[in-house]
Amino acid sequence: MPTTMVAQSLASGILVGALYGLAAVGLSLVFGVTKILNVSHGELLMLGGYTSFWLFTLFGVDPFAGIPLSMFALVIIGLIVYQLLFSRLIKLPTEDKIRTSLLVGFGLGLMLQNIALRLWTADNRGITPSYAGAVLTVLGVRLPYVRVASLVIAFVFLLALQLFLQKTYTGKAIRATAQDWEAATLMGINVHRVYLLSFVLGTALAGAAGTLVAVGYSVEPVMGLHWTLKALIVLVMGGIGSIAGTLIGGLILGVTESAAAVWISGNYRHVVGLAIFILVLLIRPQGLFGAKEG
Amino acid sequence: MLELEGVNAGYKDLQVLWGVSLRVGEGELVALVGPNGAGKTTTLRIISGLLKPTAGSVRFLGRQLDKEPAHRIVEMGIVQVPEGGRVFTGMSVQENLELGAFTARARKEKEQTMKWVYQLFPRLEERRHQRAGTLSGGERQMLAIGRALMAKPRLLLLDEPSFGLAPILVEQIFEMIAEINRQGVAVLLVEQNVRAALELAQRAYVIENGRIVGEGSGDALLSFESVRSAYLG
Amino acid sequence: MTIKKGISLALLVIGVVALGLVPRMGASESLLNLLILMFIYTMLATSWNILGGYTGQVNLGHAAFFGLGTLTARMLYTGGCPLPLAFLVAGVVPVVFSMLIGVPAFRLRLRGDYFTIGTLALSQILYITIGNVLPKITYLPMADIQNYQILPRYYIILALTVFTIGVAYALVKSRLGLGLVAVRENEDAAESLGVNAFAHKLLALAVSAFLGGLTGGAYAYYQPSYYFNYTFSPPWSLEPVTMTFIGGVGTVHGPVIGAIFFVLLKEWLVLRVGEYHLIIFGVLFILVVLFLPGGLVEAWERIRRLVARRTTVKATAPTACAGGNNLPGN
Repeated sequence: MPTTMVAQSLASGILVGALYGLAAVGLSLVFGVTKILNVSHGELLMLGGYTSFWLFTLFGVDPFAGIPLSMFALVIIGLIVYQLLFSRLIKLPTEDKIRTSLLVGFGLGLMLQNIALRLWTADNRGITPSYAGAVLTVLGVRLPYVRVASLVIAFVFLLALQLFLQKTYTGKAIRATAQDWEAATLMGINVHRVYLLSFVLGTALAGAAGTLVAVGYSVEPVMGLHWTLKALIVLVMGGIGSIAGTLIGGLILGVTESAAAVWISGNYRHVVGLAIFILVLLIRPQGLFGAKEG
Repeated sequence: MLELEGVNAGYKDLQVLWGVSLRVGEGELVALVGPNGAGKTTTLRIISGLLKPTAGSVRFLGRQLDKEPAHRIVEMGIVQVPEGGRVFTGMSVQENLELGAFTARARKEKEQTMKWVYQLFPRLEERRHQRAGTLSGGERQMLAIGRALMAKPRLLLLDEPSFGLAPILVEQIFEMIAEINRQGVAVLLVEQNVRAALELAQRAYVIENGRIVGEGSGDALLSFESVRSAYLG
Repeated sequence: MTIKKGISLALLVIGVVALGLVPRMGASESLLNLLILMFIYTMLATSWNILGGYTGQVNLGHAAFFGLGTLTARMLYTGGCPLPLAFLVAGVVPVVFSMLIGVPAFRLRLRGDYFTIGTLALSQILYITIGNVLPKITYLPMADIQNYQILPRYYIILALTVFTIGVAYALVKSRLGLGLVAVRENEDAAESLGVNAFAHKLLALAVSAFLGGLTGGAYAYYQPSYYFNYTFSPPWSLEPVTMTFIGGVGTVHGPVIGAIFFVLLKEWLVLRVGEYHLIIFGVLFILVVLFLPGGLVEAWERIRRLVARRTTVKATAPTACAGGNNLPGN
């Protein structure tokens, strides 16, 4: 097999893997803090993608410039979804909360998927700004500019989130609440506000990820479950509460999938990730890089 | 400064407290003693707002607490050190202390308070960058108390601060509590180590089966026959 | 109690006999098709409920069992295998498959959520893989299609449905059923009482997989043509959960009521709002999970109690549950 082909597949894997990481980190944040396992995260990501699709086709907003807008849209949606649905589960004991949130998320995902189907039809949609086709070629490896930019942006988001959680008072309050909400309450932290903030932060990140997916790849109504699974796989590989672990998990998943596509068949690229996922679940349920805080 | 009157409370269908009344005065050190499952921790949870009473009233500095959310009660100056300390194990000692000063009132004086806490517990300063999860049991308890002090408490609630510690450490912790109290912080101390608690406290309450069954000065209770036979052997 | 049991048994017998007589009373083919759909959905929901409802292990990949059932039965039947054997194997194959995840997951005592997302992933693996390996439409044998008989299908699927409900009922009323509920409510407490949680969960999974596969067998026998991977697609995982919750999770009659309600509402909605009905079902499902976790069965109970209370002395106020953060720690 020619080296460039290997390099090409490695590069594509890394490019898509960064997006997996970004998609997963929102889910991870929400789950780590609130113990809500929101399996409609993929659908929220999809809505982020369609938001920038609309912004681009209706108003000509550049997708990268539109990221804050699609994040804002997802903040609003996140607020509604949290206040209307998930906040009702917040006081349940952890096990019940996870179980019920899985069901609610499942139903919500179905709903959002069908709303998207009505609004945007079943077609694959992509965002194609003037520079969409531009490709950077390094040693024979083709790197589309938009995907490289997406990679950089994903890294920036993850780094910013890391700094926010480590350095700011609010970030520390979020980490404290994730570890022991009762002790956090005794510090004078309003944990309900922390829950809301974390949830909305998670959906905002889904919005950003959705935009990057729409510009580098494409969006369609059925993509939600697909992306939720990607995020869950990464979550299980990277462990909860570790942003670095999430990023590495995302990159590994991306690269493995690309490798599978080259060596097995493109049809099986998504199966390989799922198979790894099951294996990790069974062999190391705390995640490969499981840095469960505490 | 703190007054509980006829408080009933419980979890779901299980009532734990039956008409509990108690009082802590300004600058006082009061102990609440009693056997396991008597309702000591539940009483503290009521005061700090983690649990709401089903009847009765809780007042602090003349304000009604029963409707206030727990985080607001911290802001008012009641700070609880939960049983076992419950420090944030994934964070450094210093981060734990910073979180202690989360309320707006405490945050303004964070730097000074931290100096004070490090003076009280020099061990914490030595380990300020260490993860709290790597501390020993005694150090964790110190950190938990230090973290609570960071909130600038007017009333400090301590739940079994001696639990699981070696006798020598227990003595140290109790000395610290006395010192904190001397500096003007009122203390409500829940303890199973009854003798030490009664020796330390100016006043004490005895709680059994969710009811206050005795009250008096620490010394008086120490010589009280039923207390002696029940707890001091 | 026994009188009540007798009455419900009598009602059940009458119901089954009535359903058996429906074709004789000149029912239209479309009515029979509707009833068959109800039967299949009843089987699907009932089979899901055994694991998800009684044992509390939420399976979001039931389509894997259903799909394997359809695949097996279709292959065997078109290959000339006798129908009863095809049904049997259609049940057994998913059981074997379910053990692949069930044994390790339950032995490790994986948290419930890991099992749930594991099932979701497994069903996706099958969905994609079957789509790759068999990317085509499967047909009933030519002879069957040219001379498609709805009546035998109606009776056979009715029998399978009665069998499925019977298995669920027998299981629930047995000591095993008690053990399942105990495991759901508190696994540690159940174990301390001598209930082998691992064995119980595994058994529930096996029964659920078997009946799910059988449902697939019924579908494969009934449906003339479909894409091979269609029966592995996500809706087949979502719908049994939806129906069971709408009806009443963790009860024998809940999934039955849920399935009937689901099919009727779907028919009605499709006529009026077309594809929007899926959105409505999503909303309905969420509402039930959040506000009526016992489903229609609980709603009925509530109404009955309300009526009963009206006629008796006013009951005491329910014990106030303290507000605030009175939860056990995480």
